[in-house]
Amino acid sequence: MIKFTINGKLVQADQGDMLLTVIRREGIDVPSQCHHQAVEPSGACRLCMVEITRQEWDGWSKFVTSCLYPVEDGLMVTTHSAKVIQLRKTIIDLYLARHPNSTEIMRLASEYGVTRTTYETVADGDDCIMCGLCTRICAHMGFSAISTVGRGHDKEIAPPLKEAPTDCTGCLSCANNCPTNFIEFTRDSNSLTIWGRTFETLACSQCGKTTITRDFAEHLSKTRDIPIAYFEVCDDCHRKETAKTMGRVVNWTREVQA
Amino acid sequence: MNHDFSKLPEIFDRYSRNPESLIAVLQDIQQEYHYLPCEALQETAKNLSVPLSKVFSVSTFYNAFSLTPRGKKIIRICKGTACHIRGAYQLQHQFETMLGIKAGETSKDLKYTLEVVNCVGACAMAPVVIVDEKYHGSVDVSNVKRLIKRG
Repeated sequence: MIKFTINGKLVQADQGDMLLTVIRREGIDVPSQCHHQAVEPSGACRLCMVEITRQEWDGWSKFVTSCLYPVEDGLMVTTHSAKVIQLRKTIIDLYLARHPNSTEIMRLASEYGVTRTTYETVADGDDCIMCGLCTRICAHMGFSAISTVGRGHDKEIAPPLKEAPTDCTGCLSCANNCPTNFIEFTRDSNSLTIWGRTFETLACSQCGKTTITRDFAEHLSKTRDIPIAYFEVCDDCHRKETAKTMGRVVNWTREVQA
Repeated sequence: MNHDFSKLPEIFDRYSRNPESLIAVLQDIQQEYHYLPCEALQETAKNLSVPLSKVFSVSTFYNAFSLTPRGKKIIRICKGTACHIRGAYQLQHQFETMLGIKAGETSKDLKYTLEVVNCVGACAMAPVVIVDEKYHGSVDVSNVKRLIKRG
């Protein structure tokens, strides 16, 4: 068990835990755009920076991305010192210049009292903050259909060869987890289009509601050993089914007990 | 463009077939075909068990890799500070006029690729032009024709 302090409060954590995990567990709000508990942290967005010091550092401190910093015995962490706030404001300032139209960035800016950017605004700036969360999630799902392409100013997230990705199943994990909702997809009554590829969607055999894409259902069916028919019923209808079954079990139990 | 891809298995055999060999394999493919053909990327992904997206990500990240065909002879003009002061701009202009292509382009007959690079660390012999891997120092406009012809 590792013992250290966060904002003066003594906390305990397991070896290998990252600072951000413990900070959040303590109910402290530290912003982050690129973090997702299901995938490896990458420290891309820099917003989760905190100030750390130790008794023996004689008043010296340093700034680290808390999502990537493993807990240490005797560490003294400050999440909202004046220096950290200033650092986060600078990062938000830069984001605001690059993504002037992003509602998520604007929300963050107002939270930190950054009213306007001190840099030159990128007029045609899109909302992709290059955090790479979509690529990490896609790899974690086992598809690796998208990746970062190019570098520097021209870096972007794209499928290989910038063509409709063959490895994509239209699971929408990338779009649903994008912190700035940049990844677009369109839905039709029986199809879904993302990354320039159109997928056939399944419809619930009971209520007719669209469920997931056929490709994704087939993938899950193959890798998780679930019959494909399971995906032809939507979550709501599955729940209704379960409730009915449970109701019958309860009635039956009552009868037996009576 | 049609290529003879029979050399690919031999390239893969030079290294262990795992993700760690990715850059080495791509370098060899680049050397063989003067660029990274799309089919070669797909074969690399399959043979090294790397997702195609990763192969594409790496090959677009490094300047040493090109996804469009490049010329047999690659001419690089250094435009670092020293070369810039000693006339790299005029050299570039001369090369562009004589080859009929702009910096960063490849001639239609795939003979030449003209590139502008930053400092190559040979400032004492500025301005520097590198033809294939050979460094030429103190180049002036009158040498350009010879460099294009013979290298």
